Amino acid sequence: MSENEPFIGIDLGTTNSVVATVIDGVPRVIASRTGQTLTPSIVAVARNGKRLVGHMAKRQAITNAENTAYAVKRLIGRRWGSLEVEDARKVLPYELVPGPEGADIRAMLGGRAFAIPEVSALVLAELKADAESFFGRRVTKAVITVPAYFNDGQRKATRDAGRIAGLEVVRVINEPTSAALAYGFGKQMEKKVVVFDLGGGTFDVSVLDVGKSVYDVIAVGGDTYLGGEDFDRRIIDWLVFSFAQEHEALDLRQDKMALQRLRDAAERAKIELSEGQQAAIHLPFLASGSDGKAALHLDRQLTREKLEDLTRDLVDRAIAVADRTLRDAGVRVSQIGEVLLVGGMTRMPRVQQAVKTFFGREPSRGVHPEEVVALGAAIQAHALLHPQKGKEVLLLDVTPQNLGIMVVGGYFATIIPRNTTVPTSQSHLFTTVQDNQTTVRIAVLQGASDKAMENELLGEFVLEGIRPARRGEIEIEVTFDISADGIVGVSARDSATGTRQSITVTATSGLTESEMRRILEENLDEQLTRRQVGDFERLRDRTRTVIVEIEALAPAVKEALARSRFGKDAVLRAEEVVARARAAMESGDLQQMIGVEEQLDRALQLFKGLAGGAPPGGKGA
Amino acid sequence: MATVAELLDQGVKAYTRGDSAEAERIWLQAIEIDPQNERVRAYLRQVRGERPGSPAGAAPAPPAQPEPAFAPSPWDAGPAASATVVVIDEGTGLDLGVVDEKSDIRPLVADQRPPARPPPPGDVAIWMEGARELFALGDFSGSLEMIERILRVDPTHAEARAYLRQNESTLVAMYESKLGPLSARPRLAIHAEEVMWLNLDHRAGFLLAQIDGTVSYDDLFALSGLPRLDTARILASLVAEGVIR
Repeated sequence: MSENEPFIGIDLGTTNSVVATVIDGVPRVIASRTGQTLTPSIVAVARNGKRLVGHMAKRQAITNAENTAYAVKRLIGRRWGSLEVEDARKVLPYELVPGPEGADIRAMLGGRAFAIPEVSALVLAELKADAESFFGRRVTKAVITVPAYFNDGQRKATRDAGRIAGLEVVRVINEPTSAALAYGFGKQMEKKVVVFDLGGGTFDVSVLDVGKSVYDVIAVGGDTYLGGEDFDRRIIDWLVFSFAQEHEALDLRQDKMALQRLRDAAERAKIELSEGQQAAIHLPFLASGSDGKAALHLDRQLTREKLEDLTRDLVDRAIAVADRTLRDAGVRVSQIGEVLLVGGMTRMPRVQQAVKTFFGREPSRGVHPEEVVALGAAIQAHALLHPQKGKEVLLLDVTPQNLGIMVVGGYFATIIPRNTTVPTSQSHLFTTVQDNQTTVRIAVLQGASDKAMENELLGEFVLEGIRPARRGEIEIEVTFDISADGIVGVSARDSATGTRQSITVTATSGLTESEMRRILEENLDEQLTRRQVGDFERLRDRTRTVIVEIEALAPAVKEALARSRFGKDAVLRAEEVVARARAAMESGDLQQMIGVEEQLDRALQLFKGLAGGAPPGGKGA
Repeated sequence: MATVAELLDQGVKAYTRGDSAEAERIWLQAIEIDPQNERVRAYLRQVRGERPGSPAGAAPAPPAQPEPAFAPSPWDAGPAASATVVVIDEGTGLDLGVVDEKSDIRPLVADQRPPARPPPPGDVAIWMEGARELFALGDFSGSLEMIERILRVDPTHAEARAYLRQNESTLVAMYESKLGPLSARPRLAIHAEEVMWLNLDHRAGFLLAQIDGTVSYDDLFALSGLPRLDTARILASLVAEGVIR
């Protein structure tokens, strides 16, 4: 790639996403075209069929809930029927359906089934467009972050989303690793780092062993249903109940428009209270009055103290999860060298205080908690694409989870442990469990649990033709090979007979290659249509202005014609052109608009000439 | 005493019966109550022969247009943005009070209004005639009111549906023309504290809350969740009142 080719790092979050880059060696966040640094990870199909992404989609997320997809990160790369998907279906207002193969998930928006990577791709495309607007040219290279616990399928699905968005995903890295990178850890120090990531919808806590450019995620915990939205909901409930007390038990939650405004106001107040002690919530004309009375207003003052009171248990819950994660990993608080705060909710003073109390140290500050992950991704992209001698920050691709097979008793035997650098090859010897056993089933699994059933099945095969013998006498060598591309090959060989069977496992996002091609083609069509719609809208606005001008000139033209022997039919012809222009405006057809534009311009010039006293057919006609 | 809206309605009925003198008398009563009422003034100009450019006489039915294939909205069943004045002639029928007294039938819930009775068939024809007249006169709002009234009693009325679409698209075009380019991003033209003193309904309040200088009119149409006509009407009204620019 050329020295100046732009690149980006993307934090593709559950609730919000951020894009960053490195300019002159300094990482910086790229603001959206409307000036915001966060882009809500929300996609919607509006009532008028328009596709909305980011802030626009968020503004109507409650009033058009059934056609608004949010928190798709909880679904990406998951299988239809899995526990996580069933949990999500209980709380998500938009419909989820199985994909054509029955294995993956589709979100129904505006009557169309979107594959989950497609939805994420729309968010990525928005960030890409913001970056292109910033750089003034195309951007194709990106590093995208994912949670440390994402398996290969989820990572592959995230890569697919990038591809659909027109990005070449040069690397997928772990979010906590990215945060640590942004703080510059791993260069001169060796220590354990905790990343406390309380975002909009999920809470992740990770423990990293950092040193000499190696970022080893040694423990991951969290709660996929704890985040800023829960804090917002507490404020909304407080507002709703106090409003109901004053207004004859009127429940604002039944009114989607009111609820949408309440949610926006609650989030704003919460953010304000991270800085100030008091926030004013002022929502005029929030609800219709009963029996035709005037619309009702809501006016409240929320104090920081009240907010802390309303959300105390949520903060306690996050700390309890952090405690459990450390215990599970066998790490003591005293062993922690740094605590990094990530996610917008960690800006809340009460959260910071709770973290400080639990870890017995001030958390690191200095990098904006909502931007830190994207900044780390940008640093990694820069290191990969513009390597500088002696300044390498190298993150080697590692296996995100343990890989192994199912053994007797339903247990999981790890063959390649998590965080092993790829490419790699490792073998392990197994034996038969029954006398005269001539076949063995090799179930290839990925996950962190000791129980096979709790891990993800990647594939399976049967090794036949084993020599009959007493149990335990046969040696079967199972070998896992992982290529640099992440393709896993598993083989089982009977050491005595040499009989061998193998399987190749490629992570799947749920999208087949032919589906992927179809989506990419549809995206091209969509881009073309969007461009045409943009052209049509510009022309429509201009046409409307010309019509207003013509109509304003009409009385003067009529007066002028009454005194003239010429051009009696000019008004009639102009009226016909205006009628055609109106029809074209309604048609939505760009060609029809182009066809009438010139006639309309001529009519305007003619009217200008007539109104100014010039005869028709003269200058400008 | 009849309200302006009722008088307007009575006048329209008289006018569509061909009784222009009676219509003028009724609308004069209305103008006494509300001298600034633009609609009454326009009707009076019309009945006195001070017609604007539109041709008189029955208007040809507008061409039928295909139904827009929008996804269902929670507000589809709701009322239009501005209050639509509806005067329903109660007519004659059973006196439920007497029925209660003379039979063992007692209402389950006290003080419930009796179910709406279908209007006499003649009314639909009168309303339809009124809708045609008003459409021809360029009073699309008035025509729309008549149409909505017909469709409440006969949702399948084909001519009414054709007029509904034509009235709506004409009104949308009219309101949109008052907004300027739809790609423009409106802003609040008054101080935020002054918003409280406006006279808005909660839907206008919702739309106004979205206007912060970052969203265009086109965006507002997409995110309002309201029918396009209602959105256009509210926005045009906010522009006309100098609330946004």
